[in-house]
Parts: sequence; structure tokens; C-alpha cells
Amino acid sequence: MIANVTSSPKRDGVVPQPSWLPDFCSAQVLFAVMIVAELLVFIILIAPSDETRPLIPRLTTASVFVQWLALVSAVCLCKLRPRLERLAPWAGVAVAYALMLLVTVLGSALVFAIDAQLDLGLTLPAQFQARFVWRNAALCALIGAALLRYFYVFEQWRSRVRAEAKARFEALQARIRPHFLFNSMNTIASLIPQRPQEAERAIEDLADLFRAALGNDDAQSTLGAELDLVKRYLDIEKLRLGERLHVEWNVDALPASMHVPALLLQPLVENAIYHGIQSLPDGGTVSIDGRRENGRVEIAIRNPRPGEHARMGGRHGMALANTRARIEYHFGRRGELDIDAGADYFACTVKLPDESVAR
Amino acid sequence: MKALIVDDEPLARERLSSLLRDAGVDVIGEAGEGRAAVETVAKLHPDIVLLDIRMPVMDGLEAARHIANLESPPAIIFCTAYDEHALAAFEASAIDYLVKPVRLDRLRTALERAQRFGATAVQKVEQASGEHRARSHLCARVRGNLVLVPVGDIHYLLAEDKYVVVHTAKGEVLIEEALKTLENEFSDRFVRIHRNCLVARDRLAGLLRGADGSIHVKIQGTDASLEVSRRNLPALRKLVRTL
Repeated sequence: MIANVTSSPKRDGVVPQPSWLPDFCSAQVLFAVMIVAELLVFIILIAPSDETRPLIPRLTTASVFVQWLALVSAVCLCKLRPRLERLAPWAGVAVAYALMLLVTVLGSALVFAIDAQLDLGLTLPAQFQARFVWRNAALCALIGAALLRYFYVFEQWRSRVRAEAKARFEALQARIRPHFLFNSMNTIASLIPQRPQEAERAIEDLADLFRAALGNDDAQSTLGAELDLVKRYLDIEKLRLGERLHVEWNVDALPASMHVPALLLQPLVENAIYHGIQSLPDGGTVSIDGRRENGRVEIAIRNPRPGEHARMGGRHGMALANTRARIEYHFGRRGELDIDAGADYFACTVKLPDESVAR
Repeated sequence: MKALIVDDEPLARERLSSLLRDAGVDVIGEAGEGRAAVETVAKLHPDIVLLDIRMPVMDGLEAARHIANLESPPAIIFCTAYDEHALAAFEASAIDYLVKPVRLDRLRTALERAQRFGATAVQKVEQASGEHRARSHLCARVRGNLVLVPVGDIHYLLAEDKYVVVHTAKGEVLIEEALKTLENEFSDRFVRIHRNCLVARDRLAGLLRGADGSIHVKIQGTDASLEVSRRNLPALRKLVRTL
């Protein structure tokens, strides 16, 4: 491909996600920690022993104790995370691990001492203090290692998924179909001898399109600029397809200054041409309708398409999936891409939160 | 030398036409899609056809296959802007092609080299492009004229002697093909109900039991009723139930 998107220094400066230590303050991770702690309690209680006290009180005290240790460890790791991140990964892991052990040893000793003082008999008889502390530390060492390893693998997996999504979305941006480039070149070559002025304009339009396509992958654009780009794209396609392409614009209601990711609409319109108009011998009308209501901005792109057996295969699904991923990436759940595929038409609607209303 | 230009883009045709004139070739006609191309070739008998690949209605590869089956077929030169699969397929089967925008020099060489491809050569391209491609049209002759029947319009196919009768809403035509090869090529479109009959799945209206106990298929949009053989009945029953 022509496009060779280099990574921008700006993006590299964005908060780096630690690849081994999760955010222990997040509810998700805390919940995981608590579940693991509780599982540990069950294992300890189920293991055969000569214990004669009833199960339920033991379960309660053990749960309270283990959860307390787990949460104290998690809170310490959470608070120390910014510092740990500055260390080399292996040093960070070692410190985190040591911290968990330390919390367990101190916590066990403290609890044992309190228990012995108040004579509640919740732990072990007084002569077994060393054994109590030591065994707890050993359990913590084993479970902690497994847990850190799990979070490490999980974070790795998550960052890989994120990187993949990013790479796909870069590839998409670099991707105005090569087919389109060469067809446009051919159109321009045909125009030069007879209609040089139109050829000139087509080159300007093509340059604008490729400037956008080769731009920074995190680039923000405005809705107005995106619609402009779509117009330039359609101007080129009109030269190529002639009478077969009609366009209906109804976008006056849209907020031109709204921020949207670059190249949000053009791939959808390209789909409309590629799978719709171009596959119909008599062409048809692509309509682009913008609406703004109830705190939402909606842009609907609709095109006729041939019956099932005359359709071209290809990357339809890919462009849609990518656009959907980008909307999600930028707007979260507040944005969506709706698809309405009929027998002889195809319509997709980009729905975005109207940010001027939201803020 | 007489040439026919086939491309769905008017400007692309314009340019090819002026290049061909520069190369000293007579342009005797133009077509905007594959089906019209096949019909025009049968009517005008050009020596050379410049054929775009991506076109509506019928693409260039299929048009080439129909053209190659005509009597004394013209030479075909494929033109394409960019089509990874097709290009790879041409390389694989050593068929000459032009990429757009076409250069005059390159066009001259291609004209000199223009060989006649048989249907087999085109089939080789299709195989190399790695997709199973069913035709979109069947080619028939009616009183010496070429008729292309869209596969989507066919109600049912009935074998008679060495012909197959193609029944559509517009009537019937004869084609010289074997029912078995049609069944294989269009397996997702037609279902066999009898040794001599294939029916379009989307035209199946239901099963009827005759007075003599034989089972017949009703075809949507016609009053034809076709006998189902005992052998094909179980599979057909299952299919009708899922409709």
C-alpha cells in the first residue's frame, strides 16, 4: 500500500498502560481479588484436618481475616502503583510480591497477638504463633504468585487486543481502496486532453482525500470537514460513473463544528458506491441525511443495491466493523452504527452523542 | 482490425477509444456491462474485445467465458484498474492483461500478442482466482440469435434428449448443456426433484399428491406441476419443510 502510517510521538506520550500490574483500585480487579481470597478460605476449611470447631463460625472468621489481608494488600498496591510503574518490570513485580508477603506477615502477627490478648481462641494456641504466621505467609506466597501471574497474562492479552484494534483501524485509514486510486487516475488521464479543468479539479479532490487518508491515526476532524471530504470523494466518483450516480444531500441540520474521528463517513459512502451504484447497470441515488434531535446527531447513508446473486463479494463487512470499532473507540456506548440491509437497498446510520448538548 | 470496448465507465471507454484510434484500430462499438458485451460481440463480430473485469450485471470474466463459446470468437484483452485476485489469476494462467490507465505502448504490444483464448483459458483464470464462481447467465440460441438468460429468472430446468429446456417467466429456451453440470454449478440455487428436472429453490411453492399417488411440485408464478421421483422425495420434503 502507498500509505505508511508512522506512529506519532504524541501517541507514544499518552499514559502508558503498565503491562504487568492492573489497577487494583478498579472494582473489577478488587472483585477478582476478593473472589480469589474467598476461594482460598474454602480450600483451607475443606482441607482435611483435626479441627473440631463447627464450620460456619470458622468460615466467618477465616473469611474476615483473609479478605482483610487481601484488601489491605490491594489498597497498598493501588497506592504504590505510580511508583511501582517507574521500576523495571521484574523489580516492580518483586516489590509488589514482597509487599503482599509483608502485609500478610504483619497482619497475621497482629491478629494473633490480639487474639492471644483477648483469649478468643480464634486462631491457634499461643505456642503456635510462629507456625500461624509462617503458614499464612506461605499460603500468601503461593496464591500471590499465581494471582500476579494471572494479572500479568490478562494485561498482556488485553494490551494485545487493544493493539490489534489500533492496527486495524490504522490500516483502515490508510485504506481508500486501491481500486479507487487507479480508477481515479484513469479518469483523470481521460479528462486531460478534452477537459483539462475538470482534470485539475479531480486532482485537487484526490489530493484532499489522500491527505485525509494518510493523516495521523488519532486525528480528529469536524463533521463539516468530513462531509466536505465525502463531497470531494463523490465528485470524483461522479466523473467516473457519469449519469449512473446521483447524490441527495440533506445535511443542513448537522453541527459542522462537532468533533468526530477523521475519515468516519467516507468509507461508508465508498461502500455505498462500491457495492451499490457501481454494481447497478443504471446506477441510482446515494442519499446522505443528517438529523439532530434528542441529544443525538444521526447521519444516514442509503443506497440501492442489486439482488443477492448479482452482488460483489468483498470487504463490505470489514469497513462496517471497522467504522463501528472506531465509533466505539471514540464515543464509547454513546455512539453506534445501525445497519438496515434490505433486499434492494442498504442503509447505515451513524449515531453520535450531540456533544454541544451533553456539555 | 475491429475492436469492441467494454467498460462500465464512460470516461474509461473514451480514453481507450482514443488510444485504439492512435494505434490504428477501428472501434466498432462499446458496451457498458458484460451481458451487453456478449450480445454485441455476437452481432458485430469484432476481432478484438477490450474487456473490463468489474462491471455490473455480468463481470468481465464471465463475459469472456460466454464469448469464448461463440462461433469464431474474437481475441480478448482484459483491462482492469486494480484487482488483486484477477491479476494474480492472470499471472498464474499466463493470460495477457492491461492495467488502467493503459499506456499506448503497452496497448500496442497487447494488440500484437492478442491470442485467442478458449473457454478453458478463462476457466483456468477463474480457478486460479480461487473462488467457486457460478455463472450469472445461461447462454442460449433462439433462431440463430444469442439469448442470455439471467440465472435468477429461471423457474426450472427440464432435460429433454440432449438439450435442457430453460423455463422462465418469459417463456422457454433450449441450451446445450448437461443437467448434471448445471446441478453442480448452481447447487445453491437449484434442487433436483427428478432425474430430468432441477427446480429453483425460491420458486418451490409446495408438494401435491396426485390421484394416482404420485407427488408433484408446484412452482410459484406458474401453473406447472412437475413430478417428483421417489428417490428425490425425502430430501425435497425436508427442504420444503424448512421453507
